[in-house]
Amino acid sequence: MDASTPLVKNVLLLDGEGKRVAVKYFSDDWPSLSAKLAFEKSIFTKTHRTSARSEAEIGLFDGYIVIYKFISDLHFYVTGGEDENELILATVLQGFFDAVALLLRNNVEKKNILENLDLVLLCLDEIVDGGIILETDANVIASRVAMRGANDDVPLSEQTISQALATAKEHFARSLLK
Amino acid sequence: MTLVQPPLKKDDDVEDDSEYSPFYGIERSAVLQEARVFNDRELDARRCTQVITKVLYFINQGVSFTQKEVTDVFFATTKLFQSNDIGLRRMVYLIIKEISPSNDEVIIVTSSLMKDMNSKTNLYRANAIRVLCRITDGGLLGQIELHLKQAVVDKSPVVSSAALVSGIHLLQSYPEIVKGWSNEVYEAVHSKASLVQFHRLSLLHQIRRNDRLALSKLVSGLTKGGVQSPLAKCLLIRYTTQIAQFHPLAVASCNVDLESFISDQNRSAATLAITTLLKTGNESSVERLMRQITNFVSDIGDEFKIMVVDAIRSLCLKFPQKCRSLMNFLSSI
Repeated sequence: MDASTPLVKNVLLLDGEGKRVAVKYFSDDWPSLSAKLAFEKSIFTKTHRTSARSEAEIGLFDGYIVIYKFISDLHFYVTGGEDENELILATVLQGFFDAVALLLRNNVEKKNILENLDLVLLCLDEIVDGGIILETDANVIASRVAMRGANDDVPLSEQTISQALATAKEHFARSLLK
Repeated sequence: MTLVQPPLKKDDDVEDDSEYSPFYGIERSAVLQEARVFNDRELDARRCTQVITKVLYFINQGVSFTQKEVTDVFFATTKLFQSNDIGLRRMVYLIIKEISPSNDEVIIVTSSLMKDMNSKTNLYRANAIRVLCRITDGGLLGQIELHLKQAVVDKSPVVSSAALVSGIHLLQSYPEIVKGWSNEVYEAVHSKASLVQFHRLSLLHQIRRNDRLALSKLVSGLTKGGVQSPLAKCLLIRYTTQIAQFHPLAVASCNVDLESFISDQNRSAATLAITTLLKTGNESSVERLMRQITNFVSDIGDEFKIMVVDAIRSLCLKFPQKCRSLMNFLSSI
């Protein structure tokens, strides 16, 4: 592929011990499972003591640019090649981070993520397609995941009161059925 | 999400020690058995969604399935198109992409996907397009090409983006076909959606990438203010830099802005600015740059230093007269 299209190499969501919660790889840089796990271990070890909670942090690890942000017991990472534009990667991270927060009603911690893993996986699917950035606006991403206003692309935050109530009801029903 | 089985033997298990995890003690073989509910006459959408999620969880954790198991899950999944549940349909799209069915298997879902591609619901259209383009072969592509071209100029940004991004991917394997979409891609300029502008520009650039004249025209046409999308602007800067390599005078004015980034707090930004300047700088600016970055270099980590050294190496090759002062600089790092 043409090197000038910004490409995301992976998006990773790891737990408090560096284990996978939800990951998606878009490049052949880590062809085997063990290579992937080694990479995840490497960046987790190098970053988990830093404070990347209020703002995203950036690092250059093993020849890759990694943007990361932490919340509660979760670690979000977006990786690009060393020539990639960091701000673009940061926008992807922020989109993922904020969309997940919207979908989980700001209750972003490991247990809730696992209980709503389908939403998180759909979220990943709506942000990057085969390495190419599909969408970065968290409201748009969350709306597409929820298939709310499926014809109008109405962002979650712009819904009318009745639509928002319907959304809330749906989420409440989901949690009751667990 | 409810557990189906209590934790028993751990052979096929995923190790998840947290007892609060909905996937605790889950067995791969049990989940595959559960997929049988996809064959039910009356589909329980919520249950099916849960099963798909569990399968995806395993795949995510790196657990491998045999080819037969994958095929069985795929066939079972195809039955789910009978349900009209929106959430379930989305999960079906997701798992089809994850499983990557073979050419023979793809045929089973083609007509369902093509139906969705013409659905009134934009999100169905967009997702069906993405799935189809992921699993297509030349024959199928020929059948859906007209729909894809129409999707490129669709008013809905999600549909247009889906077609454009798929075009970028398909360009690798079916370049001649995608190049035939040029007219539609040009027409998509009317879209104000930020990501559509980005996708459109990216695809156009790739279609034209061997034609320098067309590229220059593309860039100059857009720098006249037609682009609002930040991502599209980034692309424009990149393409301008590339063009600068054979038309350097065109970008000389950017260098002044770049120099102010050298003192930026963010080390990455500063390093990027330095290496860019070193690449596009001219002979007279080299000495000045070397002075500016002497202090800077001692601050940055080894990985950034390597980037700087690399850029200096290319400078040596470009400006042999400056070799001596560049060598002096390198020996002081």
